[in-house]
Amino acid sequence: MTGDRTNMSEPDQLAQRFVDQELSAEERLQLLARLGHDEPLRTALLSLEHLAFDSARLPRPAVPAGFVGDVLRRTALASTEASGGHQARMNPFLKPRVLHWNLASAMALAAAAVLVVAVAMTGQAARFANDTSAIVSAPALTPDSPAMLVRLIIMQPDAKAVAVAGDFNGWNPTRTPLERLSGDAWAVTIPLRPGRYEYMFVVDGDRWVADPFATERRDDGFGSENAVLDVRPMVTPL
Amino acid sequence: MSPETASDDAALVRAAQRGDRDAFGTLVARYAPAILSVTSRMLGSTSDAEDMAQETFVAAYQALERFQFDASFKTWLYRIAMNKCTDSLRRRRPDTVPFEDGGSDSAAAATIPDLETPHWEYEQVELAWQLDQAVQALPPLYRESFVLKHIEGLDYDEMSHILGVHRDTLKMRVYKARTLLCRSLAHLEGAHR
Repeated sequence: MTGDRTNMSEPDQLAQRFVDQELSAEERLQLLARLGHDEPLRTALLSLEHLAFDSARLPRPAVPAGFVGDVLRRTALASTEASGGHQARMNPFLKPRVLHWNLASAMALAAAAVLVVAVAMTGQAARFANDTSAIVSAPALTPDSPAMLVRLIIMQPDAKAVAVAGDFNGWNPTRTPLERLSGDAWAVTIPLRPGRYEYMFVVDGDRWVADPFATERRDDGFGSENAVLDVRPMVTPL
Repeated sequence: MSPETASDDAALVRAAQRGDRDAFGTLVARYAPAILSVTSRMLGSTSDAEDMAQETFVAAYQALERFQFDASFKTWLYRIAMNKCTDSLRRRRPDTVPFEDGGSDSAAAATIPDLETPHWEYEQVELAWQLDQAVQALPPLYRESFVLKHIEGLDYDEMSHILGVHRDTLKMRVYKARTLLCRSLAHLEGAHR
Protein backbone atom coordinates (compact mmCIF):
# COMPACT_ATOMS: atom_id res chain seq x y z
CA MET A 1 0.00 0.00 0.00
CA THR A 2 2.72 2.44 0.81
CA GLY A 3 3.69 2.51 -2.85
CA ASP A 4 0.39 4.19 -3.63
CA ARG A 5 1.20 7.04 -1.31
CA THR A 6 4.62 7.98 -2.61
CA ASN A 7 3.41 11.46 -3.52
CA MET A 8 2.48 12.25 0.06
CA SER A 9 4.68 14.14 2.39
CA GLU A 10 6.01 11.98 5.15
CA PRO A 11 3.85 13.61 7.88
CA ASP A 12 0.76 13.26 5.68
CA GLN A 13 1.52 9.64 5.01
CA LEU A 14 1.94 8.91 8.69
CA ALA A 15 -1.28 10.74 9.55
CA GLN A 16 -3.24 8.93 6.84
CA ARG A 17 -1.97 5.55 7.98
CA PHE A 18 -2.81 6.46 11.57
CA VAL A 19 -6.40 7.30 10.65
CA ASP A 20 -6.67 4.03 8.76
CA GLN A 21 -5.25 2.20 11.80
CA GLU A 22 -2.45 0.74 9.75
CA LEU A 23 0.47 1.62 11.99
CA SER A 24 2.29 -1.06 13.88
CA ALA A 25 2.66 -0.65 17.63
CA GLU A 26 6.21 0.54 17.13
CA GLU A 27 5.19 3.09 14.50
CA ARG A 28 2.44 4.36 16.77
CA LEU A 29 4.95 4.96 19.54
CA GLN A 30 7.25 6.82 17.18
CA LEU A 31 4.34 8.91 15.94
CA LEU A 32 3.20 9.84 19.42
CA ALA A 33 6.75 10.79 20.39
CA ARG A 34 6.91 13.15 17.39
CA LEU A 35 3.62 14.89 18.02
CA GLY A 36 5.02 17.12 20.76
CA HIS A 37 7.47 18.89 18.47
CA ASP A 38 6.21 18.25 14.93
CA GLU A 39 3.60 20.91 14.19
CA PRO A 40 2.79 19.85 10.56
CA LEU A 41 2.24 16.28 11.68
CA ARG A 42 0.07 17.37 14.60
CA THR A 43 -2.01 19.63 12.37
CA ALA A 44 -2.48 16.98 9.69
CA LEU A 45 -3.44 14.35 12.21
CA LEU A 46 -5.89 16.60 14.03
CA SER A 47 -7.62 17.66 10.80
CA LEU A 48 -8.00 14.08 9.62
CA GLU A 49 -9.30 12.88 12.96
CA HIS A 50 -11.83 15.73 13.08
CA LEU A 51 -12.96 14.86 9.58
CA ALA A 52 -13.40 11.17 10.38
CA PHE A 53 -15.21 11.96 13.62
CA ASP A 54 -17.58 14.51 12.09
CA SER A 55 -18.30 12.33 9.06
CA ALA A 56 -19.30 9.37 11.21
CA ARG A 57 -21.77 11.62 13.04
CA LEU A 58 -23.46 13.12 9.99
CA PRO A 59 -27.20 12.66 10.41
CA ARG A 60 -28.77 10.13 8.12
CA PRO A 61 -31.63 11.37 5.98
CA ALA A 62 -35.08 10.35 7.13
CA VAL A 63 -36.67 7.40 5.45
CA PRO A 64 -40.04 8.71 4.30
CA ALA A 65 -43.18 7.15 5.68
CA GLY A 66 -44.50 4.58 3.27
CA PHE A 67 -41.07 3.78 1.82
CA VAL A 68 -41.35 0.03 2.42
CA GLY A 69 -44.88 -0.06 1.07
CA ASP A 70 -43.78 1.84 -2.03
CA VAL A 71 -40.94 -0.61 -2.63
CA LEU A 72 -43.24 -3.60 -2.26
CA ARG A 73 -45.75 -2.06 -4.65
CA ARG A 74 -42.98 -1.48 -7.18
CA THR A 75 -41.73 -5.05 -6.82
CA ALA A 76 -45.27 -6.26 -7.35
CA LEU A 77 -45.60 -4.10 -10.43
CA ALA A 78 -42.26 -5.31 -11.77
CA SER A 79 -43.30 -8.90 -11.23
CA THR A 80 -46.62 -8.32 -12.91
CA GLU A 81 -44.94 -6.79 -15.94
CA ALA A 82 -42.43 -9.64 -16.06
CA SER A 83 -45.02 -12.38 -15.85
CA GLY A 84 -47.81 -10.80 -17.84
CA GLY A 85 -50.11 -10.82 -14.89
CA HIS A 86 -50.34 -14.56 -14.36
CA GLN A 87 -47.77 -14.66 -11.64
CA ALA A 88 -49.49 -11.80 -9.91
CA ARG A 89 -52.34 -14.10 -9.03
CA MET A 90 -50.03 -16.77 -7.72
CA ASN A 91 -47.13 -15.04 -6.02
CA PRO A 92 -47.73 -14.34 -2.35
CA PHE A 93 -45.51 -11.25 -2.73
CA LEU A 94 -48.21 -9.65 -4.75
CA LYS A 95 -51.06 -9.88 -2.31
CA PRO A 96 -52.19 -6.37 -1.45
CA ARG A 97 -51.13 -5.88 2.12
CA VAL A 98 -50.03 -2.89 4.09
CA LEU A 99 -46.75 -3.09 5.88
CA HIS A 100 -46.59 -0.38 8.49
CA TRP A 101 -43.35 1.54 8.41
CA ASN A 102 -42.58 4.41 10.64
CA LEU A 103 -39.08 5.39 11.71
CA ALA A 104 -38.61 6.02 15.37
CA SER A 105 -39.02 9.71 15.82
CA ALA A 106 -35.98 10.18 17.95
CA MET A 107 -34.85 13.34 16.21
CA ALA A 108 -38.30 14.87 16.25
CA LEU A 109 -38.69 14.00 19.88
CA ALA A 110 -35.38 15.64 20.58
CA ALA A 111 -36.55 18.67 18.66
CA ALA A 112 -39.19 19.34 21.26
CA ALA A 113 -37.50 21.48 23.81
CA VAL A 114 -38.51 21.17 27.40
CA LEU A 115 -39.57 24.70 28.20
CA VAL A 116 -43.18 24.83 29.26
CA VAL A 117 -45.20 27.84 28.29
CA ALA A 118 -48.86 28.70 28.53
CA VAL A 119 -50.01 29.59 25.08
CA ALA A 120 -53.27 29.47 23.22
CA MET A 121 -53.06 27.70 19.91
CA THR A 122 -55.42 28.10 17.00
CA GLY A 123 -54.97 24.88 15.11
CA GLN A 124 -56.28 24.68 11.59
CA ALA A 125 -56.82 21.85 9.21
CA ALA A 126 -53.75 20.98 7.16
CA ARG A 127 -54.26 22.46 3.73
CA PHE A 128 -51.43 20.48 2.25
CA ALA A 129 -51.92 17.22 4.05
CA ASN A 130 -53.02 14.38 1.86
CA ASP A 131 -54.90 12.77 4.71
CA THR A 132 -55.29 15.07 7.65
CA SER A 133 -57.23 12.60 9.69
CA ALA A 134 -54.11 10.96 11.02
CA ILE A 135 -52.54 14.22 12.07
CA VAL A 136 -53.35 15.63 15.44
CA SER A 137 -53.06 19.24 14.45
CA ALA A 138 -53.94 20.91 17.74
CA PRO A 139 -54.70 18.74 20.72
CA ALA A 140 -56.78 20.28 23.42
CA LEU A 141 -54.81 22.25 25.91
CA THR A 142 -55.08 20.67 29.31
CA PRO A 143 -52.93 20.87 32.42
CA ASP A 144 -51.47 17.52 31.35
CA SER A 145 -50.42 18.72 27.92
CA PRO A 146 -48.54 21.99 28.28
CA ALA A 147 -47.11 23.63 25.22
CA MET A 148 -43.48 22.94 24.39
CA LEU A 149 -41.05 25.28 22.72
CA VAL A 150 -39.82 23.83 19.46
CA ARG A 151 -36.96 25.45 17.61
CA LEU A 152 -36.74 24.99 13.86
CA ILE A 153 -33.61 25.84 11.93
CA ILE A 154 -32.74 25.65 8.25
CA MET A 155 -29.66 26.54 6.23
CA GLN A 156 -30.61 28.84 3.35
CA PRO A 157 -27.62 31.00 2.44
CA ASP A 158 -29.22 32.83 -0.47
CA ALA A 159 -32.68 33.46 0.98
CA LYS A 160 -34.01 36.93 1.66
CA ALA A 161 -36.83 35.64 3.85
CA VAL A 162 -37.80 32.28 5.30
CA ALA A 163 -41.00 31.27 7.06
CA VAL A 164 -42.50 28.03 8.25
CA ALA A 165 -46.03 26.97 7.38
CA GLY A 166 -47.79 24.02 8.88
CA ASP A 167 -50.69 22.59 10.78
CA PHE A 168 -49.87 24.87 13.68
CA ASN A 169 -50.46 28.15 11.80
CA GLY A 170 -53.10 27.27 9.25
CA TRP A 171 -50.45 26.77 6.57
CA ASN A 172 -50.02 30.51 6.40
CA PRO A 173 -46.72 31.20 4.55
CA THR A 174 -46.20 34.60 6.18
CA ARG A 175 -47.45 34.09 9.70
CA THR A 176 -44.36 32.48 11.24
CA PRO A 177 -41.19 34.04 9.85
CA LEU A 178 -37.76 32.71 10.75
CA GLU A 179 -35.04 35.02 11.96
CA ARG A 180 -31.70 35.07 10.24
CA LEU A 181 -28.89 33.94 12.49
CA SER A 182 -25.27 34.64 11.80
CA GLY A 183 -24.09 32.88 8.67
CA ASP A 184 -26.48 30.89 6.54
CA ALA A 185 -28.98 29.72 9.15
CA TRP A 186 -32.55 30.80 9.81
CA ALA A 187 -34.41 29.84 12.97
CA VAL A 188 -37.64 30.28 14.85
CA THR A 189 -38.94 29.04 18.18
CA ILE A 190 -42.63 28.15 18.32
CA PRO A 191 -44.83 26.85 21.13
CA LEU A 192 -46.58 23.59 20.30
CA ARG A 193 -48.68 21.29 22.37
CA PRO A 194 -47.94 17.57 22.18
CA GLY A 195 -49.12 16.11 18.92
CA ARG A 196 -48.08 15.49 15.35
CA TYR A 197 -47.71 18.40 12.99
CA GLU A 198 -46.85 18.68 9.31
CA TYR A 199 -44.88 21.62 8.05
CA MET A 200 -42.73 23.02 5.24
CA PHE A 201 -40.39 25.95 5.01
CA VAL A 202 -41.29 28.80 2.66
CA VAL A 203 -38.30 30.58 1.12
CA ASP A 204 -38.68 34.08 -0.29
CA GLY A 205 -42.44 33.83 -0.09
CA ASP A 206 -43.01 31.33 -2.87
CA ARG A 207 -40.56 28.45 -2.72
CA TRP A 208 -41.80 25.58 -0.55
CA VAL A 209 -38.87 23.59 0.81
CA ALA A 210 -39.16 20.22 2.51
CA ASP A 211 -37.04 19.56 5.56
CA PRO A 212 -34.62 16.92 4.25
CA PHE A 213 -33.53 15.89 7.72
CA ALA A 214 -37.02 15.35 9.08
CA THR A 215 -37.39 11.91 10.55
CA GLU A 216 -40.80 11.39 9.01
CA ARG A 217 -42.50 12.78 5.97
CA ARG A 218 -45.89 12.52 4.34
CA ASP A 219 -47.04 13.02 0.79
CA ASP A 220 -48.64 16.45 0.56
CA GLY A 221 -50.75 15.58 -2.44
CA PHE A 222 -49.03 18.26 -4.52
CA GLY A 223 -45.99 16.26 -5.58
CA SER A 224 -43.88 17.10 -2.58
CA GLU A 225 -43.65 15.96 0.99
CA ASN A 226 -44.37 17.63 4.29
CA ALA A 227 -42.11 17.04 7.25
CA VAL A 228 -43.83 15.55 10.25
CA LEU A 229 -42.94 16.86 13.68
CA ASP A 230 -43.85 14.62 16.58
CA VAL A 231 -43.99 16.70 19.74
CA ARG A 232 -44.09 14.54 22.82
CA PRO A 233 -45.13 15.73 26.28
CA MET A 234 -42.39 16.38 28.73
CA VAL A 235 -41.90 13.50 31.13
CA THR A 236 -41.70 14.77 34.67
CA PRO A 237 -39.93 12.71 37.31
CA LEU A 238 -42.16 11.10 39.90
CA MET B 1 -22.68 -6.48 11.57
CA SER B 2 -23.17 -9.00 14.33
CA PRO B 3 -23.23 -12.73 13.51
CA GLU B 4 -26.82 -12.78 14.78
CA THR B 5 -27.86 -10.08 12.31
CA ALA B 6 -26.06 -11.82 9.44
CA SER B 7 -27.74 -15.09 10.32
CA ASP B 8 -31.10 -13.40 10.60
CA ASP B 9 -30.52 -11.69 7.24
CA ALA B 10 -29.76 -15.02 5.61
CA ALA B 11 -32.94 -16.53 7.04
CA LEU B 12 -34.97 -13.56 5.81
CA VAL B 13 -33.40 -13.72 2.36
CA ARG B 14 -34.17 -17.43 2.10
CA ALA B 15 -37.74 -16.77 3.19
CA ALA B 16 -38.02 -13.94 0.67
CA GLN B 17 -36.64 -16.20 -2.05
CA ARG B 18 -39.49 -18.57 -1.24
CA GLY B 19 -41.94 -15.72 -1.73
CA ASP B 20 -42.38 -14.44 1.82
CA ARG B 21 -43.46 -10.84 1.34
CA ASP B 22 -43.09 -9.83 4.95
CA ALA B 23 -39.54 -11.17 5.03
CA PHE B 24 -38.52 -8.95 2.14
CA GLY B 25 -40.35 -6.03 3.71
CA THR B 26 -38.37 -6.57 6.89
CA LEU B 27 -35.12 -6.50 4.93
CA VAL B 28 -36.17 -3.28 3.19
CA ALA B 29 -37.08 -1.67 6.50
CA ARG B 30 -33.82 -2.80 8.05
CA TYR B 31 -31.54 -1.44 5.34
CA ALA B 32 -33.51 1.53 4.01
CA PRO B 33 -31.67 4.02 6.27
CA ALA B 34 -28.25 2.82 5.09
CA ILE B 35 -29.16 2.68 1.42
CA LEU B 36 -30.91 6.05 1.50
CA SER B 37 -27.85 7.46 3.25
CA VAL B 38 -25.47 6.45 0.45
CA THR B 39 -27.82 7.47 -2.35
CA SER B 40 -28.31 10.85 -0.67
CA ARG B 41 -24.58 11.44 -0.30
CA MET B 42 -23.94 10.37 -3.86
CA LEU B 43 -26.80 12.18 -5.61
CA GLY B 44 -27.49 15.17 -3.39
CA SER B 45 -31.11 15.66 -4.36
CA THR B 46 -33.53 14.21 -1.82
CA SER B 47 -36.06 13.09 -4.40
CA ASP B 48 -33.39 11.50 -6.62
CA ALA B 49 -31.90 9.74 -3.59
CA GLU B 50 -35.26 8.30 -2.55
CA ASP B 51 -36.02 7.14 -6.08
CA MET B 52 -32.61 5.52 -6.33
CA ALA B 53 -32.99 3.81 -2.96
CA GLN B 54 -36.32 2.39 -4.07
CA GLU B 55 -34.82 1.26 -7.36
CA THR B 56 -32.05 -0.45 -5.41
CA PHE B 57 -34.51 -2.55 -3.45
CA VAL B 58 -36.60 -3.32 -6.51
CA ALA B 59 -33.46 -4.48 -8.36
CA ALA B 60 -32.46 -6.54 -5.34
CA TYR B 61 -35.87 -8.17 -5.28
CA GLN B 62 -35.68 -8.97 -8.97
CA ALA B 63 -32.24 -10.51 -8.54
CA LEU B 64 -32.96 -12.18 -5.22
CA GLU B 65 -32.96 -15.69 -6.61
CA ARG B 66 -29.38 -15.15 -7.79
CA PHE B 67 -28.11 -14.04 -4.39
CA GLN B 68 -25.53 -16.66 -3.44
CA PHE B 69 -24.76 -15.74 0.16
CA ASP B 70 -21.08 -15.24 -0.68
CA ALA B 71 -21.36 -11.72 0.75
CA SER B 72 -23.64 -10.17 3.31
CA PHE B 73 -27.02 -8.98 2.09
CA LYS B 74 -26.14 -5.47 3.20
CA THR B 75 -22.92 -5.48 1.16
CA TRP B 76 -24.87 -6.74 -1.83
CA LEU B 77 -27.38 -3.90 -1.44
CA TYR B 78 -24.59 -1.36 -1.20
CA ARG B 79 -23.13 -2.70 -4.45
CA ILE B 80 -26.44 -2.39 -6.26
CA ALA B 81 -26.98 1.12 -4.87
CA MET B 82 -23.50 2.31 -5.84
CA ASN B 83 -23.82 0.91 -9.35
CA LYS B 84 -27.13 2.67 -9.78
CA CYS B 85 -25.77 5.95 -8.44
CA THR B 86 -22.76 5.73 -10.76
CA ASP B 87 -25.04 5.13 -13.75
CA SER B 88 -27.23 8.03 -12.70
CA LEU B 89 -24.29 10.41 -12.32
CA ARG B 90 -22.97 9.40 -15.73
CA ARG B 91 -26.34 10.17 -17.29
CA ARG B 92 -26.45 13.64 -15.79
CA ARG B 93 -25.27 16.54 -17.84
CA PRO B 94 -22.44 18.33 -16.09
CA ASP B 95 -24.51 21.45 -15.54
CA THR B 96 -27.15 19.50 -13.67
CA VAL B 97 -24.84 17.90 -11.13
CA PRO B 98 -25.68 19.70 -7.88
CA PHE B 99 -22.14 19.98 -6.61
CA GLU B 100 -22.55 23.34 -4.96
CA ASP B 101 -26.20 24.14 -5.33
CA GLY B 102 -27.11 25.42 -1.92
CA GLY B 103 -30.51 26.53 -3.05
CA SER B 104 -31.86 23.20 -4.20
CA ASP B 105 -33.57 20.57 -2.14
CA SER B 106 -30.12 19.27 -1.28
CA ALA B 107 -29.80 22.10 1.19
CA ALA B 108 -29.54 20.63 4.61
CA ALA B 109 -31.84 21.57 7.42
CA ALA B 110 -32.33 20.38 10.92
CA THR B 111 -34.01 21.35 14.11
CA ILE B 112 -32.15 22.43 17.17
CA PRO B 113 -32.79 19.81 19.81
CA ASP B 114 -31.69 21.64 22.94
CA LEU B 115 -32.50 25.23 23.75
CA GLU B 116 -30.09 25.26 26.65
CA THR B 117 -27.17 25.28 24.24
CA PRO B 118 -28.55 26.83 21.08
CA HIS B 119 -25.26 28.31 19.93
CA TRP B 120 -23.46 25.00 20.22
CA GLU B 121 -26.29 23.19 18.50
CA TYR B 122 -26.36 25.75 15.73
CA GLU B 123 -22.66 25.22 15.15
CA GLN B 124 -23.20 21.48 14.92
CA VAL B 125 -25.95 21.96 12.35
CA GLU B 126 -23.80 24.31 10.31
CA LEU B 127 -20.81 21.99 10.52
CA ALA B 128 -22.92 19.06 9.32
CA TRP B 129 -24.27 21.17 6.49
CA GLN B 130 -20.82 22.37 5.42
CA LEU B 131 -19.44 18.84 5.56
CA ASP B 132 -22.38 17.46 3.62
CA GLN B 133 -21.90 20.10 0.93
CA ALA B 134 -18.16 19.44 0.77
CA VAL B 135 -18.70 15.69 0.42
CA GLN B 136 -21.14 16.25 -2.43
CA ALA B 137 -18.62 18.50 -4.15
CA LEU B 138 -16.05 15.69 -4.28
CA PRO B 139 -15.44 13.98 -7.62
CA PRO B 140 -17.70 10.91 -7.72
CA LEU B 141 -14.90 8.35 -7.50
CA TYR B 142 -13.52 9.94 -4.36
CA ARG B 143 -16.99 10.59 -3.01
CA GLU B 144 -18.14 6.98 -3.18
CA SER B 145 -14.99 5.76 -1.44
CA PHE B 146 -15.21 8.39 1.29
CA VAL B 147 -18.92 7.80 1.89
CA LEU B 148 -18.48 4.07 2.31
CA LYS B 149 -15.38 4.42 4.48
CA HIS B 150 -16.21 7.29 6.79
CA ILE B 151 -19.96 7.78 6.71
CA GLU B 152 -21.04 4.16 6.41
CA GLY B 153 -18.08 2.89 8.41
CA LEU B 154 -17.06 0.02 6.13
CA ASP B 155 -13.57 -1.44 5.93
CA TYR B 156 -11.49 -1.56 2.78
CA ASP B 157 -12.21 -5.24 2.10
CA GLU B 158 -15.95 -4.63 2.18
CA MET B 159 -15.51 -1.57 -0.01
CA SER B 160 -13.43 -3.57 -2.46
CA HIS B 161 -16.20 -6.14 -2.71
CA ILE B 162 -18.85 -3.46 -3.24
CA LEU B 163 -16.99 -1.31 -5.76
CA GLY B 164 -14.94 -4.01 -7.47
CA VAL B 165 -11.77 -2.00 -7.01
CA HIS B 166 -8.53 -3.11 -5.38
CA ARG B 167 -8.28 -2.05 -1.75
CA ASP B 168 -5.03 -0.17 -2.32
CA THR B 169 -6.69 1.92 -5.00
CA LEU B 170 -9.54 2.62 -2.63
CA LYS B 171 -7.13 3.73 0.07
CA MET B 172 -5.63 6.21 -2.34
CA ARG B 173 -9.07 7.54 -3.27
CA VAL B 174 -10.02 7.89 0.38
CA TYR B 175 -6.75 9.67 1.06
CA LYS B 176 -7.37 12.14 -1.75
CA ALA B 177 -10.94 12.67 -0.59
CA ARG B 178 -9.76 13.37 2.94
CA THR B 179 -7.14 15.79 1.68
CA LEU B 180 -9.68 17.69 -0.43
CA LEU B 181 -12.17 17.79 2.41
CA CYS B 182 -9.62 18.99 4.95
CA ARG B 183 -8.71 21.79 2.57
CA SER B 184 -12.28 22.82 1.85
CA LEU B 185 -13.25 22.71 5.54
CA ALA B 186 -10.10 24.39 6.83
CA HIS B 187 -12.02 27.60 7.50
CA LEU B 188 -14.05 25.75 10.14
CA GLU B 189 -11.00 24.83 12.18
CA GLY B 190 -11.37 26.29 15.62
CA ALA B 191 -14.73 27.81 14.86
CA HIS B 192 -16.82 24.71 15.39
CA ARG B 193 -14.53 22.16 16.85
